[in-house]
Amino acid sequence: MSLRVESVSLVLGDGDQQVTALDNVSLSVAPGELLAVVGPSGSGKSSLLAVCGGLRKPSAGRIFVSDTEITALNDDQLTRIRREKVGFVFQQSNLLPALTVLDQLLLTVHLRGISPRSADRDRAMGLLRQVGMESRSRRRPGELSGGERQRAGIARALMSSPSLLLVDEPTSMLDQARGQQIVSLLRSQCHEHRVAALMVTHDRDMLAYVDRAVHIGDGRLQPLEVAHSAN
Amino acid sequence: MFIASRDLVYAKGRFALMGLVVALVAYLMTFLSGLSGGLVSNNVSGLIASPVTHFAFQYDDRPTFRSSLVDRPMWEGWSSRSGVLQAEPLGHTTFNGRNQRNEPLEFVLWGIRPGSFLDVPVKSGEALGTTENGVVISRLLADRGVAIGDTITLDRVLTELTVIGITADERNYEHAPIVFTPLPKWQEATYGPPGGAPPGEKLPDVVFDFASVVALKIDSGVTPEEIAAADSDLGTTTLTLTESFETSPAYQVEVFTVAAIQAFLVVTSAVLLGAFFLIWTIQRTAEIGLVKALGASNGYLLRDSLGQAMLLLTGGLIVGVGLALATGVVFKATAEAGTPFHYQPLTVVVSSLLLLGAGLLGGAVSIRRITAVEPLIALGRDR
Repeated sequence: MSLRVESVSLVLGDGDQQVTALDNVSLSVAPGELLAVVGPSGSGKSSLLAVCGGLRKPSAGRIFVSDTEITALNDDQLTRIRREKVGFVFQQSNLLPALTVLDQLLLTVHLRGISPRSADRDRAMGLLRQVGMESRSRRRPGELSGGERQRAGIARALMSSPSLLLVDEPTSMLDQARGQQIVSLLRSQCHEHRVAALMVTHDRDMLAYVDRAVHIGDGRLQPLEVAHSAN
Repeated sequence: MFIASRDLVYAKGRFALMGLVVALVAYLMTFLSGLSGGLVSNNVSGLIASPVTHFAFQYDDRPTFRSSLVDRPMWEGWSSRSGVLQAEPLGHTTFNGRNQRNEPLEFVLWGIRPGSFLDVPVKSGEALGTTENGVVISRLLADRGVAIGDTITLDRVLTELTVIGITADERNYEHAPIVFTPLPKWQEATYGPPGGAPPGEKLPDVVFDFASVVALKIDSGVTPEEIAAADSDLGTTTLTLTESFETSPAYQVEVFTVAAIQAFLVVTSAVLLGAFFLIWTIQRTAEIGLVKALGASNGYLLRDSLGQAMLLLTGGLIVGVGLALATGVVFKATAEAGTPFHYQPLTVVVSSLLLLGAGLLGGAVSIRRITAVEPLIALGRDR
């Protein structure tokens, strides 16, 4: 499994203000699988993403990314795991405004301490071609539509050849049609690159385009049936 | 500097504005160093140019050229001390005078023995000692219109001096040009009666037994204790050449004033850069969180931002110092003769490095906030 979550709980706040964001959550995602976690606001979706990405330490339980127990790592080791094994696709894409689309991808190479070479550029252009953004590679985020920014964000997340993709509400700023295109693209890329993907969303209409889905409510998971669309 | 270099292009307006501020501070700092160098040079250039290592003054806690009075036994005593290579009497008096066109002149009259190690090289005219009342004037006085062949009459004492030579460089004390005269003429003008000796009479010999200070050239192997012993034996107070600069009342005030302004500029630069990078870092908090979530270490982000500060400072410094140096050339070419302005390469380099260091320090203090940004914020609202 690329991602294995074992009996993870997350308690936020102190004293009377304590909230159980995740309550004994267990799940796993296989390479090439897109798992959707669906739930309303405040259900614990982003908390689940945060602990799986090593952005927050759970109160209890263990998490494995490609057989590495990330819950046992320190901050520096977690930074390294994020850089090498985890790709993030953020809500509203979260691209750096000063960087062109191509540079957004090359940044992930530079973060590893390597100056991007022509092979890296070729790989980046190949990924941009796959997400239909090759012609926009020299544009900055301010010159792109919401859908284009999300496509660039997906390409960036795949650039470091991660084993796990964590996707945060990728369709929240898009209309229905564009949202479906983005999730379909995500699924096809996961299959093509054999990457496990955990996507959190509040949009049940997107469930037709994922491999598997679970519901989250009050920090607890329940399985959901997925009726696949033609896509 | 993957992100930083792209930020510089993307937010070029903001960085250009800050770079302009750095350039202006660097400009002011460099220009002030020129003014400072000019003031020092203009004030005591006569001392700086003299081949002297020490001056022996009449014993005093705070000796000055104006108040000091030494006699023949003192300079002869210094001559006979071991390690003293040269010891010469030097007369020093500030005079007002007039040339033959009745134009007022203010200068310092230095009495020296022609042919001694204190003798001054001339650029034009004749050397000192060619005639009894012939004087060599500082170039500054020549720049103010005094020419070879002019007659200078000293106020009060009415001694007439004829300009026979002009020095190659500026020789000033307390910003006044120095007029070099043979020591006996200086002694006559300083200690003799107005108008000199009455016709057919000579001044008493004792007049010629006094000067203001003993100019010394002492071997570098002579210890301060040996000099102190000589002072004690001869009733003098000896200062090194550099210490003697401070006998000029304006010297310390001028140097302190300019140094204080430069120190304020260094601090201002640090605060400005600190404030700019503080605001810049706060504005970029979300971006920093995002890049951290993507796997950037604190070290990577600090290096990136410090490199950005370094680039901004270096660019501003190059522009500011370059413009100041160019202004200096124009200023010297167009300013009135004697305007104190002189760049010293070492001072320009040191002040630029100080500015760079202070700016980087200010930037570094602000940029340190990067380490406190949590990558979690990249996920937006925490649900």
